This record gives sequence, C-alpha cells and structure tokens, in this order.
Amino acid sequence: MAKFFGVDKVVRFFQIVRDNGGIRGSLRALYRRDELKSGTLIGEDKYGNRYFENNMHFYGRNRWVEYADHVGLDYNASQVPPEWFGWLHYKTDLPPYKDPSRPNYKWMLDHTENMTGTRDAYMPYSTTRPKIEAWKPK
Amino acid sequence: MLRLPLIRAAGLSGCRLGATGLHTTASKLQAPPEQIEVFIDDIPVLVDPGTTVLQAAAKIGVEIPRFCYHERLAVAGNCRMCLVEIEKQIKPVAACAMPVMKGWRVKTNSDLTRKAREGVMEFLLVNHPLDCPICDQGGECDLQDQSMAFGNDRSRFVDINFSGKRAVEDKDVGPLIKTVMTRCIHCTRCIRFASEVAGVDDLGTTGRGSDMQVGTYVEKMFLSELSGNVIDLCPVGALTSKPYAFVARPWETRRTDSIDVLDAVGSNIVVSTRSGEVLRVLPRLNEEINEEWLSDKSRFACDGLKRQRLLTPMMKVDSKLQPVEWEDALVAASRALQQAPATKIAAVTGKLADAEALISLKDLFNKLGSETLATEQPFPKDGAGIDLRSSYIMNNKIAGIEEADVVVLIGTNPRFEAPLVNTRLRKSYLHREQTIALIGPEVDLTYEYEHLGDSAEVISQLKNGTHPFCATLKNAKAPLIILGAEQLGRSDGSKILAETQALAASLGKTVQAPENWKVLNVLHSNASQVAALDLGYGSSLAEIKAQNPQVLFLLGADDADIKREDFPNTFIIYLGSHGDQGACIADVVLPGAAYTEKNASYVNTEGRAQQTGTAVNPPGMARPDWKIIRALSEFIGVRLPYDTIHDVRGRLEQVAPHLVRYGDIEPANYFAQALELAKKTGSFASDPLELKQKTLDEFFMTDVVSRASPTMAKCVQAVIKQRQAQL
Repeated sequence: MAKFFGVDKVVRFFQIVRDNGGIRGSLRALYRRDELKSGTLIGEDKYGNRYFENNMHFYGRNRWVEYADHVGLDYNASQVPPEWFGWLHYKTDLPPYKDPSRPNYKWMLDHTENMTGTRDAYMPYSTTRPKIEAWKPK
Repeated sequence: MLRLPLIRAAGLSGCRLGATGLHTTASKLQAPPEQIEVFIDDIPVLVDPGTTVLQAAAKIGVEIPRFCYHERLAVAGNCRMCLVEIEKQIKPVAACAMPVMKGWRVKTNSDLTRKAREGVMEFLLVNHPLDCPICDQGGECDLQDQSMAFGNDRSRFVDINFSGKRAVEDKDVGPLIKTVMTRCIHCTRCIRFASEVAGVDDLGTTGRGSDMQVGTYVEKMFLSELSGNVIDLCPVGALTSKPYAFVARPWETRRTDSIDVLDAVGSNIVVSTRSGEVLRVLPRLNEEINEEWLSDKSRFACDGLKRQRLLTPMMKVDSKLQPVEWEDALVAASRALQQAPATKIAAVTGKLADAEALISLKDLFNKLGSETLATEQPFPKDGAGIDLRSSYIMNNKIAGIEEADVVVLIGTNPRFEAPLVNTRLRKSYLHREQTIALIGPEVDLTYEYEHLGDSAEVISQLKNGTHPFCATLKNAKAPLIILGAEQLGRSDGSKILAETQALAASLGKTVQAPENWKVLNVLHSNASQVAALDLGYGSSLAEIKAQNPQVLFLLGADDADIKREDFPNTFIIYLGSHGDQGACIADVVLPGAAYTEKNASYVNTEGRAQQTGTAVNPPGMARPDWKIIRALSEFIGVRLPYDTIHDVRGRLEQVAPHLVRYGDIEPANYFAQALELAKKTGSFASDPLELKQKTLDEFFMTDVVSRASPTMAKCVQAVIKQRQAQL
C-alpha cells in the first residue's frame, strides 16, 4: 500500500538525509558531490577516502567513493589508490583488506595523486647543449 | 723567373693550350682568331683553335664526364674519365686535354665511348672503398653520380673475403680539412689548386701506379687562407670539411643564397642550414667577385654564429650587465639619448653593420640633431673627404685587376685582407705576366713582387719619378694602384690618400688601357665601410673622443679599440650580435642579428651593393638591427618613418640610389676634382706603413664572428704550431 502511493520513496529520502547527517550535512554533501546517496561503508583507505556500496543502484552506480574531507572540493579520481581502484571499477569484488592474493612488497611506493598543475608537477628539462650559446657578461 | 707551376711549365698542357685552357674573364680582350668547325654527336659547332674537345662539347650543352678536369685549373688529363671516340681514330682520346682539329667528328655517346667510360669507372672503383653510407661526400659526390650515370650496371667484384683494396694512411693537413686518403682517386685537383691558385706548393704525389699517394711527403699541414676550396674541388670524399664531419647530408639542408661580410670583397655564398642552425657556408659562383672560391674565414667561421651570442637585451643593474626585457632596455637607452644635448651624442659603426641599420641610425641621430657618426676604420676628412666616391672604392673592379700589367700595392696585404682579390693578382701574375710592387711591410703574397720599401715617402718618390721603379711604371699600359684602407687611419692618412691620388692621376695620363680604366683603387677590409661612407658617416673616432659625448652608440663596433677609460662618464649603448669588446663596456646591450639572420644590404669594396638572405631567424630575443633602431626612435619620440624593410630601402634609395641596385656597380668619377680638393700641404709621418694582418695566424680572427669561432681558434693554434716546428 505504502509502495503504491510512493510513500516508501519519501521514507527513503528521509533515511538518506539522516544518513548524510541531517539537513545541514545533506546540503553540504550535495554541494560537494552534486548527489545524495547512502550505502554501506565498505572501507576507508589511509588517505581518508571512504568507499561505499549500495546494490539498490544499478551496476556502475552502486560503488562510489567519498573523498577525504580535508581535500574539500579539490578532489579528483587520481586520489584513489590502486588497491581500491580495482574494487571501484569492478575488477574485483574483494575490497583490499579481504584480498589475500594482493602482493605487498617492501619496494612498492606509496600512492601519489596526479600532480599536474601544481608546484610538484613533473617538469622534464633538456640535457642537450643549446644550439646557440649565449654570451655571459663578466 | 719560373712563374707557372711545374706541371704547366713541363709542357703537360700549358704549351698546347695557352691561355685559352684557363678560364679568365680577361681573355675576352684578345682578338678573336679564325674559328674552326667540329662536329659533336653530328652537331656542328664553331670553336676557336686550341679549344679542347670537352670545351667544344660544353658549348652545345653536351656534358662529358670528368674527374680531374676543372675549368679554373691546369689540365692534367690523368683520370681518363673523359675518353671519347673520334671518327677515324683507333683509340679513344681524353677530351679534356685534346685540342680539336678541323672537321673532327666527336662521338660522346658511342659504344666505344661508353665502353671506355665503363672501363675507367671500373678501375676507379676497384680501389675505392664502399663506404658511401659513412662518407661525408655522400649525396654530392662526383664518383657516386658518375658511376650511376656512366658506370657498368653489374659488378665483377667477387673477392669479398680477401681485403685486396688499396689502403692509404690518412694525413693530418690541419684543423679544416679531414682526409680519408683511401678514397682518393688521384685526380690531382687539390695539388693543382694549391700550387696554382693558393700558391702554397705543399701538396704533391709520391709513388706511382697503385702506390701513388697524394700528400705533403713530409708531414706538414696544408695551411693557406684558401685551403677550404680543395674540399669543394675534391670529386670524392677524400678531402672533406673537418668541422662539418658527420653533421648533415646535403639533401637535409636548406640552402640560402647570401653574401659574405667577413671581408670587404662581398663573396657570394650559400648558407646551408638545418633546424635553425647554420651548418656550413659554401661559395656561390660569381665571376665578377669570387669566381667559385671562398676564403677560409668566410667558409669556416660560421660556427662563431652559435657562440658568444647576445640573446637578450641587457642593462647595467648594480654595475653588472643583467638580462632585461626589450622594453626596459629601450626605455633606458631612449632616456639617455633624450636627456643628452644634441652635441653630446655620438655613434660608431662596426665592420659588420648593414646599410639598413646604417641609414636608420643616421636618420635617428640626424633627427636628434647630431651628425657625429663615425666608422670604426677612420677615413680622412681633409680634401674631398667622403664626398667623392672615387676616393674610397675599388674603381677598377675586382675582375679588372686581371687586365692590369703593373700593380702597385700601397700599405695592404691583399692575401689576408681580401684573399679573393689576391687570387686575381696571382692569376694575372702567372698567366698574364703582371708585375706587382708593394709599398709596406714585406709579407708573403704567394707570388713574387718588387718591394719598394715600407715608408709612405715612396709614394711621393713614385709620383715625382725619382724611384727606380718608375721606369716600369712609365712603360705600363694598364697600371693599377691598390691602396689599403687601413693606411687611411694613420695620422697622415689624408696625405697618403692625396699623394696616391696624385700618383694615380700622373699614371692615368700615360695609360693606353681600355676606356674607363681607373688607376686608383682602395681596398677595404671592413664590409660595412663603403656603405657607411656612401651614407655619410663622416666623423672620426678621434673627434668623438674629443667631444667627450654623454651618450655613445656602438653599432657593432668591437674592433675600434674603444675603451671604457676613454669614456668614463659616457652612457654606452651597444647594438650587435656578439658579446665582445663593445658589449663589455656597454651600459645597455641590444641584441642584433648576425649576417646570416637578416635580409640586409652590404656594399663591397668595389661599391657593388648586394644583399644577404635570412638563412635562420635571429636567436632568442635578438632582432634585425634596423628594427631595433626603429623601435628605439619611437621610444625617444622621434619616430623614423619606415615600418618595413621596403620602406627602409626606399629611404636608402633616396639617399644613395646605387645601394639598392643589387649586383650592379655605379662607377665613380671626379678623380680630377678629388685631386683638386686634396690638401697639398702636410707631410708623411716618419713611422713606416704597418699592417694588422701580416701572417696567416693574424688572418683567422678579425671580427666578432671569427673571434667567437672555435674552428678559427684551432686554425690560429695550428699555424703557430707549424711555425714553431719549422723554426
């Protein structure tokens, strides 16, 4: 009956609002991510990104990441570390902490996000001699 | 006196061919003898007697392949590539050495001719290494081209396991020429060039048959101011350019026709560039000026265009030159020029300045109310000064030197000041019995000359007829006087010029030479000098020093020995391409373009205007010089009324129309008037005539480009080393 009148959708709306931390929290979430969702927290990586799953949404929309709070609006996809990338893109259904076969060597580097456009961006420099050598005043 | 090198004197060719064997512009003077008719491939052709088969064929456009024959060298006839069949003769004959006989029927494409060529080519290739892929001559190699065109299409070379090819040790002939003597096919062009044109009888052959080697016999470097030409002459890759080794292939390079400005001859050159870099400079044919030769400085100093360059404008900040933006530099320069009174600004131009920059600078200074514009090399102001053009150009033209029978050189060393003028003198000395005399320090001119002394008094003695040489001069049919422009900078420069003019006038009376024969010639060493004098750069450095200017503008003036101590409170603006003396003392440095980077006009010592081509763009923030002066004028607030190079040339045409008539010479007259105006008083200074360039090591580094060139530095070292080894 409730389903017939669409009352369950209203109920779910309020549930989602509650999950996102009330009206204020929901507005903030909308502002940051442009959508309001709630799901099961699958895990959190060491950078503070939280990964959610809600199979009510269709495939492709049912796993998502909420970026760490401290980055604010400066989030981008390269902040997802490779171990979670696989889960997020359905390469595997096992989140990293449940995956026993995941290699973990000493020499593996920590993940870094893409630094393009920042001060730490990679800047190649020429190692060849310049074709024209400038005069240096004494 | 044995003038001709041994190869000709021995009768190998000289007696048979006479003067017609050699390509001279002067030969047209002789009366035309009766012509004979021969048939080349059944086409009749009328030629002078004594013409070779090869020349007769060339007359109707039939090219006979050759390696050893070169039209400017004596005929050797030893490569046999030019064998052709002549009807009713059993054996094929060497076309380059055989004078034609009446009614001969030459077959340049018969079976016998083709077979002979294929045979010769096969013999040449038997001992020629198969290293075309790593050979610098690849792509411009006569042997490659002719083996494709005239060689057999199949090989009889089966002996791949036995290294039976001739191998010859490479020779060290100096820092300019790389030798791979195994590739040599013994055409002896380099030997003939060295002994006939360069006048350095160092090269020769040793051994015979397959043991024959071209070399210097004792280990010695081939050091001459013209040595680079053997690279062009060598038909194979035996002699290649050392600085250009493994740099580029001829088909990758872009070629720009241009003009050389490192001496005042104005040799025509081709600048080879690739990806914004000048790789090499080659001579371009111009019978009037450089024929097909080029001096080593012009050819090899091009790597100086990549060193010591001014790439950004600079300004003195905290008493140190710092790179700044164009605007800052121009503002600083314009403020200095604005604040100085018109009587307290002066300009000096260097030897590489082009006519466009010269006219812009002059217009700018004239607009500011100043006329204190000087050239680096002073020209006497007394008498006619720079008003009469005849007193500062080579009136009789470079090619005209060949027609003179007596030449008096006054205070000049043409061998190093203008190597391609010297080749003309040497050519006439060898083939036309020219008598040459020199007043000035005794130097090696590659030919014998009569040394009349090194005092300027000798000019007066010649004029008055009290000198023993006057007997020769009196009998001269076409006498010529070549006065070195360097002497005009002496304290008695005006006296020297006046006396020389008087001497020329007295000789001119007895002259029986062709019409328009001009006795007086001035040989300059600075490429910009004639244009600057044409445009009215009439002041002198001494005047500027006396004026104690508030602002001094140096347009590439690096060789005038301008010192900071002489101008302690002067604001010095330097505009030029290289960081050298001028930039060191400057308060503001404006980076200009070098001669390969701008389309600019230069006037050579004959007064012939020619233009350089833009082979590459000016590096960094550098710009063509006239544009900088134009921009500066706008900053000062006296805008020059031209925006494009065409406008500048329009202005040039207003001032001196001959400056834009490229390739032509506007003859100068008014010799008598110049003589009238010349000051009769004054006396010669007691010190003897002196020259800046007396030996070969002084030749290589004379301007900013060659001073920045590592190759030229190596040349100087090589000459000094060789001299010490000989002592």
